[in-house]
Amino acid sequence: MSLPGAGVLGKLRVAGRPGLRRIDATLPVWVGAALFLVFLMLLPLGSIFVTSLRDEHGITLRNYLDVFTEEAFFKAIWNTVVVSFWVGVIALGIGALLGWLVTRTDLPWKRAIRALVMASFVTPPFLGAFAWTLLAGPNAGLLNKLYRSLTGSEEHLLNIFTIEGLIFVMALYSFPYVFSMIANVCELISSDLEDAANILGAGKMRVALSITLPLAAPALVGGFIIAFLHSLSLFGAPAILGLPSGIHTITTQIWALFQYPPRLDLAAAFSVPLLLTTMCLIALQKKILGRRGYSTVGGKGGQRRLVQLGVLRFPVLLLVVGILSLSVFLPYWILLKAALSKAWAVPLTWDNFTLGNFGFAFFSYGDTQRAILNTFKLGILTATVGTLIAALIAYITNRQIFRGARFLNFFALAPLVVPGIVLAVGLFIAYTRPPLALYGTIWILFVAYLTKEMPIGFSQAETTFKSIHPELEEASRIVGANRLRALRDVTAPLARSGLIAAWCFIFVGVIRELSASILLFTPKSKVVSVVIFDLKEEGQIGVIAVLGILLLVVSFLVIFTVQRLVGRDVLASRE
Amino acid sequence: MATVQLNGLTKSFAETAAVNDLTLEIADGEFVSLLGPSGCGKTTTLRLVAGFLKPDAGQIRVNSEVVSSPSILVPPERRSMSMIFQSYAVWPHMTVYQNVAYGLKFRSVTTAESDRRVREILAVVKLAHLAGRYPAELSGGQQQRVALARALVVKPEILLMDEPLSNLDANLREEMRFEIRRLHDEFKITSVYVTHDQSEAMVVADRICVMNQGRVEQVGRPEEIYESPKTRFVSEFIGKTNLLSGSLEEGNRIRIGDGLFLRVANEGGSRRGEKVWVCIRPHDLELSRAADHKQSHVQEGFNSFSGTVTRRIYFGDAVDYLVQLAGTDLVLRVIAPPGRRFGMGEKVFVLVHPERCVIVG
Repeated sequence: MSLPGAGVLGKLRVAGRPGLRRIDATLPVWVGAALFLVFLMLLPLGSIFVTSLRDEHGITLRNYLDVFTEEAFFKAIWNTVVVSFWVGVIALGIGALLGWLVTRTDLPWKRAIRALVMASFVTPPFLGAFAWTLLAGPNAGLLNKLYRSLTGSEEHLLNIFTIEGLIFVMALYSFPYVFSMIANVCELISSDLEDAANILGAGKMRVALSITLPLAAPALVGGFIIAFLHSLSLFGAPAILGLPSGIHTITTQIWALFQYPPRLDLAAAFSVPLLLTTMCLIALQKKILGRRGYSTVGGKGGQRRLVQLGVLRFPVLLLVVGILSLSVFLPYWILLKAALSKAWAVPLTWDNFTLGNFGFAFFSYGDTQRAILNTFKLGILTATVGTLIAALIAYITNRQIFRGARFLNFFALAPLVVPGIVLAVGLFIAYTRPPLALYGTIWILFVAYLTKEMPIGFSQAETTFKSIHPELEEASRIVGANRLRALRDVTAPLARSGLIAAWCFIFVGVIRELSASILLFTPKSKVVSVVIFDLKEEGQIGVIAVLGILLLVVSFLVIFTVQRLVGRDVLASRE
Repeated sequence: MATVQLNGLTKSFAETAAVNDLTLEIADGEFVSLLGPSGCGKTTTLRLVAGFLKPDAGQIRVNSEVVSSPSILVPPERRSMSMIFQSYAVWPHMTVYQNVAYGLKFRSVTTAESDRRVREILAVVKLAHLAGRYPAELSGGQQQRVALARALVVKPEILLMDEPLSNLDANLREEMRFEIRRLHDEFKITSVYVTHDQSEAMVVADRICVMNQGRVEQVGRPEEIYESPKTRFVSEFIGKTNLLSGSLEEGNRIRIGDGLFLRVANEGGSRRGEKVWVCIRPHDLELSRAADHKQSHVQEGFNSFSGTVTRRIYFGDAVDYLVQLAGTDLVLRVIAPPGRRFGMGEKVFVLVHPERCVIVG
């Protein structure tokens, strides 16, 4: 091999000269993406604050006064607090129990249980709520019918249209959040830590109380807060279960304020406390989880021994299956039955069997075709644009492309603290007037979904780029590739599967979205979730079931793809 | 042919200067090692040379053409350099062959020529049989050699290495040092090698540049650095050392304690009465019993102090003693050959030639 040829350096061109020319050609892309993100967040939230402080005469606090003195509004706030609190408690109980059981005990069928928890997670709460109206509605609910036929009683056993019913259903679809947190922590606490206390003389009980519990405590509190927040921002379930018996929560109340005649000012004033509460709780949760340095809990080489359940093994398994049948088996079964029946409430026999609901939903019923089309159009569009922006932003923050880049983190994650319906209020106010009159088109839904799903897409993209060492890119540059070429040859192929996962997360999030859509849709821009909500009024049970199954099947297919792709548990990768 | 000049190079991160007014010249074909503790700015310096960072002040010239300055930055891809990264940065989605061939895409070589060069260099680093493998299927040492081959195949003018061996296990590390030096002797590429391991620097480098807190402490051949350290930092960082302080008095004598004087061969530019530090390597100290005090030592003007052995550790090839000098709280570390043994608490004489007592700044 000969020596490096002389004169190569002669070809060195001095690229940079003072002034504009030394700015990297890709810089406008980075800055553009950053500005877009900031704009996306600031406009709707700013609009809410401004509107809430205004009436026809100018700046005022009257809207807030109205909201907090009106008894009905006050009742809605109280209901929300009560419901969210109990949802938090129950979700914590179920989530922590299951999380511990699948990570630290010799419970059988753990993979199946994880998969079923995942199924509860993927099930849109409004769909679960709908299914439970079929199961435990006071008159026609199948469980009540069963009870009557067994006991001969005239009364109903269960009534889902109550505060208790609402808490029950919301807890069923909030516990997976707690589960994933607890399972993660339990996997990090090594048995060594417990053994260390053991060898110093602490008994089993003492170890559990003085070591294991304190280590898990931040996750428990954090899990409670997450479940609390989740139920705080839900719209579909409280609307389906609460409204028939006149129970309002904050979200349904905001929705009601949008019905004719719309009171945007009050809705805005009502949104602000919800927004502030969410912000405070998330800040609190970050603080609790951040304080004890969770990463130190881990450490490599720590072994985890499984607790032997012994004779309790099968009773515990039965309990777990029981819980999961409430969130998955029963609802799915009733949806399938309703989809395949002529009359959902009578037993599924050959006489009652039909595929007509599918045909009706997909081909005949006017609204659904367009809604399905809209939903998937929006899903694909939002996921594609969202992944692109999330990837750009994550790349910028990860590689510190320009000064202050890390503040973009904040904006990308900020929508986490904005409940969907609050975001919708902001977008409605911001985009109903020129210059950006998006209301009435599907574009306002696009903006809403893009904003709402940004945190999921961003954190996935960030994890992806974090795992790609910057030196891999630099190695390509030093041997001759320019920045774009390095991105194309090295970063892009390495980030591909992670970004496809981000795409899938956003897509699944979009197709099940209801709480923002419900304020922003117009007859032309209906989506499946809104149609399901509307059809409930019309009693089109079969069509709802078909649409629900469609959402579930598509979601599962997409999630399955992700799991194959990134080779890990999807639940674990969401905070 | 490539020379590199760093001139007054300065780079700060968030107000702290990582590299502070650094000046260094590297001759064509020379192998220079930047050596220092973590955080001393050596990696920053290397990344400045590579063009991944832009200096806040100063210049980098390659063959007297400015490639980096606060207003000019030739991008890394146009510097005809290669770099070996601490993490190896072997692309996991490409095979060994593809990794190595990648850089040739940016040079006008024919496919046949490219293939020939890749195969040739893979043979040099003994990876020819693994060309079709993916990095995940290779050991750490093999990945390291892929990085080496990838950097060499493009025939760079300048080769930069950022702690290239720090992720290898001890045996492999030792082997690869000699390998890197052998390849340099073969190809004579101007090389800059960053490390915190002094023995690594001594094996590979023609000259060592010792850095501390963003500044150059001393530049010189390995033996210069070891035998005549210019600063306390260098004497402590390179090898083991005894550091004594005292005031310089007449006749090249340094008063290191009550009535205790140390003769040095060279005052090293210090003035009389000035407080100075003296570096004595533990290997340069000798121990002897009062009874067999050698006449030759006295004649040659050896420094001689009486003391007591307070610690003794047997290492097989040497014995490591601590000797407390009589009437003082001065303790000297002596590393002596294992032939003659001295016991704990034994009264001994510590001897050292004035040539071996070096005044450091």
